[in-house]
Amino acid sequence: MELAEEIRINATRDIVFAALNNVEILKQAIPGCEALEATSATEFTATVVSKIGPLKARFTGNVTLVDVIAPQSYTMVGEGKGGPAGFAKMRTFVHLTDEGESTLLRYEVKADIGGKLAQLGGALISSTSKKLAGIFFGNFEALLNGERAIERSSE
Amino acid sequence: MASNPQKTNDSWMGSRLARKEDLRLVTGQGKYISDIVLPRMLHAVFVRSDRAHAKIVSIDTSAALALPGVVCVVTGDDIVDELRSMPQPVLLPNLPAKYPTFYPLCVGKVKFHGAPVALVIARDKYVAEDAAELVEIEYEELPVVVDPEAALEPGAPLINEDHDDNEIFSMTFTGGTTQAEHDANDKEVEEIFQNADVTIKERFRVHRTGLTPMEPRGVLCDWSDSDGLTAWITTQRPHIDRLAIIDLLDIPADKVRVIAPRDQGGGFGVKAPFFRENVIIAHMARKLGQPVRWIESRYESLMNVGQERDQINYLEVAATQDGKLLALRNRGIADNGTGETGVYWGFVMPFLGAVELPNTYTWDKADVKLRVAVTNKACLTPSRAFGHFPTRFAIERAVDMIAHKIGMEPSDLRRKNLIPHLPYTSTTGEYYDSGDFVQVWDNLMSHIDMAKFREEQQAARSEGRYIGIGFGTGVELSGMASEVLVPMENQPGYGAASVRLDPRGTALVFGGDAPGGQGHETSVAQIVASAFGIEPQDTVTTTGDTATTPFGSGTIGARGASYFMSAVHNACVEIKVKIARILAHDLGISATLDDFEFVDGQVVLRSDRSVKKSFRDIVERIIMHPINMPPGEVGGLEATVYFEAAKPMICFNADFCTVEVDIHSGEFKITKWVSSEDVGNVINPLIVDGQMHGAIVQGLSNTMFEEFIYNDQGQQLTADFENYKIANAADMPDIEVTYSPSPCPHTPLGTRGIGEGRPSSVPGALSNAICDALLPFGIEITELPLRPGAIWKKIQESQA
Repeated sequence: MELAEEIRINATRDIVFAALNNVEILKQAIPGCEALEATSATEFTATVVSKIGPLKARFTGNVTLVDVIAPQSYTMVGEGKGGPAGFAKMRTFVHLTDEGESTLLRYEVKADIGGKLAQLGGALISSTSKKLAGIFFGNFEALLNGERAIERSSE
Repeated sequence: MASNPQKTNDSWMGSRLARKEDLRLVTGQGKYISDIVLPRMLHAVFVRSDRAHAKIVSIDTSAALALPGVVCVVTGDDIVDELRSMPQPVLLPNLPAKYPTFYPLCVGKVKFHGAPVALVIARDKYVAEDAAELVEIEYEELPVVVDPEAALEPGAPLINEDHDDNEIFSMTFTGGTTQAEHDANDKEVEEIFQNADVTIKERFRVHRTGLTPMEPRGVLCDWSDSDGLTAWITTQRPHIDRLAIIDLLDIPADKVRVIAPRDQGGGFGVKAPFFRENVIIAHMARKLGQPVRWIESRYESLMNVGQERDQINYLEVAATQDGKLLALRNRGIADNGTGETGVYWGFVMPFLGAVELPNTYTWDKADVKLRVAVTNKACLTPSRAFGHFPTRFAIERAVDMIAHKIGMEPSDLRRKNLIPHLPYTSTTGEYYDSGDFVQVWDNLMSHIDMAKFREEQQAARSEGRYIGIGFGTGVELSGMASEVLVPMENQPGYGAASVRLDPRGTALVFGGDAPGGQGHETSVAQIVASAFGIEPQDTVTTTGDTATTPFGSGTIGARGASYFMSAVHNACVEIKVKIARILAHDLGISATLDDFEFVDGQVVLRSDRSVKKSFRDIVERIIMHPINMPPGEVGGLEATVYFEAAKPMICFNADFCTVEVDIHSGEFKITKWVSSEDVGNVINPLIVDGQMHGAIVQGLSNTMFEEFIYNDQGQQLTADFENYKIANAADMPDIEVTYSPSPCPHTPLGTRGIGEGRPSSVPGALSNAICDALLPFGIEITELPLRPGAIWKKIQESQA
């Protein structure tokens, strides 16, 4: 599954990049995130609950940030296991561009999913991913503006 | 229920008798494997790999074991020292191949999505399912190979690491046995191609598809220290399964009994291999001293079995301008999957597919080669039309492409090249024993007025409607003689039956094969009733129990009407000889079997029909009152007979269908389907009609709908019936089955077996009809499945 989108965020590039490295903000913004802990400056462990089609799965996995060029871009490499529901591997490239006082965030996701997730949710993966990304960035922007995350769950 | 027609000509042979087994099957009284429940029975659930190719780093079973009700969780490492690996000799064909070594549970790594990694056994099925979800497996992924051509490239990632490449099997089928002979033959074929008026060369691709029996697999094993192992297995070959279990688990031969349940919801070849699941369930029942049962889910079934076809055939055909087929050359590449099932190992199907490539046509020369690649997919399992669905699609399409090229009616080209006289040995060495291809063809053509159809086609085209007609032919093995089955599967081909008469004048028949819905109980009863002059309800048939039946290689390869029924008949004759001798002795006359007629419950002296005795009385006299016997004769009436035909046998069919294609959407409608069959003498036309309808529907479903899809990561995406679409009644046309039989000279009743290859003339006939309809666009279909989208795309491309 591949997904690429651009989002305009109402904050400067430095603030956006800092927030993209802030565990507390990420934790609140990620839909269904139950736990997110930094094990180093660029490594995290995460537990996320997702519902895709008929399957609800608790993913546990690791996320590593590579090719970090502050405050411009990084690539987030993650792998999560959803137990009997299957697994997901993801590589997300995030790039920031100044647009006056706001920032244009472009991301490209390449995800491989396997197991029952791929079999039963295959047709829904793309739409679900888009929806989750939308929720994430909605939350992310709200948090940057000092508000509370609006949506916490993917359901 | 419909009333049964009366028997004809004093014989039940050829009667449309309603099937004896249907009453219990349609009233819920069938007894399938899930209906067998034993005291203290435990339930097994497999934990299956969600990766296609990966090292197993660790398996954590602690959470599963902690669940109340769980008895044990076993992994590959737990059992490697407790049982033997496959292959074992009884499960190996006599064909040189790179057989993989494997255990019932994966050891070290997984090779396909769905491979069994661990087994959970619990006191309750639901607990076992829950516990299976708690088993945590850590994998380290390996490169995945899903393309058979890529798998054969030098340096491709190795799947079966006990071998140095992924080519499990390769063979040249033409020209002789030595390299020099092959080279000489190939050169001659090349010369024909160089000098031919017309040639075609095409890559024909048939997808992975096959069979989905209504009842998935199941195994129930019970162990006792005194009697050993009793294993109920959904299987087509219980006697072979028994030998395999003896060898794999090192159990004394007298301590293993395998029973195929009397009622099985279809086999179609899918239940013919020996599966790894059988071994581990039997092993655990012995180890735990408690019955253990595994019932396969539909999800598991679609992940593991019923996957076949899946070949690429680079086929070339040479012909003359007036439509004489000269030579064919084929380079087949088959996608085997892992190769991890006993008996077939995946490649035996494409092997036979290559053998059957020349089909019903005469060729001066052929050059046929096959390579079979191991990939990270489930191992191919046999599916009716064993191996030759893809090669027959290719050859039937190629014949039409030649016809299009030279501007000849495809039907005329076929008739011109049909093998005119049998017996005949094909260019790949297959023996066609008997029958009349031309007669069957002419019967088919009597159901269509070609000139009129072409007029209608022209008229329709002028209205923007596209109708077409397509043909296909097929020659099938009718059972397999030992001379075929021993080299192919290392098993005997003979049919075996025991017939035992009861003092009350009824018959008990025992057979070692294991039917799955073919109507054996009815066909057997008709043969026995005809032989003894009794009623069909007076025969009871037992199959599938190795403790009570003579050895049989299984319900496979159309062995029913050809081999098993012949053995039943011959056993009846053996008993009749004895009855006649004793009756003549009692009557004080000199007479043998030929002097008596067995009819209407009587044994009648032909020369004086007032001299007769009731069948029941003479049977009771011989079994219960064996005094005053002829010299050397003893009591009892029972015979076990092994039947081996003098020659390998075939049956034959030809089909046509008409279609209408909507060029704006690529959708098509089948408007007519007619078949012409040589099935030999028919025991029960109702059953034969059912076989033919089922086979044609299966061929259509494979051609139009069914497709097992693996993505580039080897993820199998079609593990439910929403994603693996099979035909339903509304999808199917009316099918008109017609017969043009010639009795088989090699069976005592002139019967032929019909259950095997029938679907494989379907994809060619249907594709040919669509191409005929779209002839103005010059479209030639070379790939299956036939989806409207793909047809629409071809129409668009032709107009670009």
